Amino acid sequence: MAFVLTLLGSLLACGLEMLEALAIVLAVGITRRFRDALIGAAGAAVALAVLALILGPVLISRVPLESLRIVIGAFLLLFGLEWLRKGVLRLAHLRSPSSSFREFVEEQEELESLAMPPEGRPDWAGRTIAFKGVLLEGVEVILIVTALAAHPEGLAPALIGAGAAILIVIAVGLFLHQPLSRLPETHLKYLVGVVLSSFGVFFASEGLSVHWPGSDAALLYLAAGFALLSQAQIHVLARRAPVPA
Amino acid sequence: MTTLSQLRKLILGETWSLPIGVLVSLGIAALIREVAGPDGWWHHAGGYVLFGLVAVALTVSLTSALRRR
Repeated sequence: MAFVLTLLGSLLACGLEMLEALAIVLAVGITRRFRDALIGAAGAAVALAVLALILGPVLISRVPLESLRIVIGAFLLLFGLEWLRKGVLRLAHLRSPSSSFREFVEEQEELESLAMPPEGRPDWAGRTIAFKGVLLEGVEVILIVTALAAHPEGLAPALIGAGAAILIVIAVGLFLHQPLSRLPETHLKYLVGVVLSSFGVFFASEGLSVHWPGSDAALLYLAAGFALLSQAQIHVLARRAPVPA
Repeated sequence: MTTLSQLRKLILGETWSLPIGVLVSLGIAALIREVAGPDGWWHHAGGYVLFGLVAVALTVSLTSALRRR
């Protein structure tokens, strides 16, 4: 059970974050030059790989198991509840729906106002924007995967999920842009919020000496609890949302 | 927006109410555990207490988001 949920959480969280990074890289590539966009993205990927190599072993070897579970739980709660909060507001029509396609179009419009360097000269503006976009989205990916991978038997599903997410996002990138605009991002991000929040409560509680009845199966009823709670919140908030004219 | 503030937004989120809520929830849970002892009722029911505290934190954060509108 924990294997499937870890894989699902890692796959969806990484996929959605990388989709946002992809939108930025594509916007830079299409508006300016693909070579510079890819150089910027590759630089960020190297920086993220270094961060992952440092963060994982340091967390696992330096922090005692009980404290580690609380730290992991706190991080997962921070990410999960934020995704859940935004998901509730979006589904209650109090916030605009999530759309990597819209971000792609906005980024493209912004980039068009920047002057292009002459042919043969590096485009540092384009490289910097691609680097920053991939780095910022990637930091969240690294933290989520590290947190999911740090619990016992979590490494394999977290890495498989992240690996699958990379392949899916590359495939989406190859067939852009129609699939990007068709993805139900708001619902997927809401689902990630439910999964990560459930893991957060589960790990943090274990770090605080709690024994969950049914062991890993507790993740299921925690997810059901978060889904019920958030659906009730959506229902209440939607009634207070302004009616479109 | 600077890179540092973007990074803060990515890790802590858009609001302060949620990270503070998570911190307070974990703090209260740790306090109850200390009072109740790790082997008593807390061992079996502490998880539900934390879930309840986190649910309150999420609700408070949503309410403050609605109030700001």
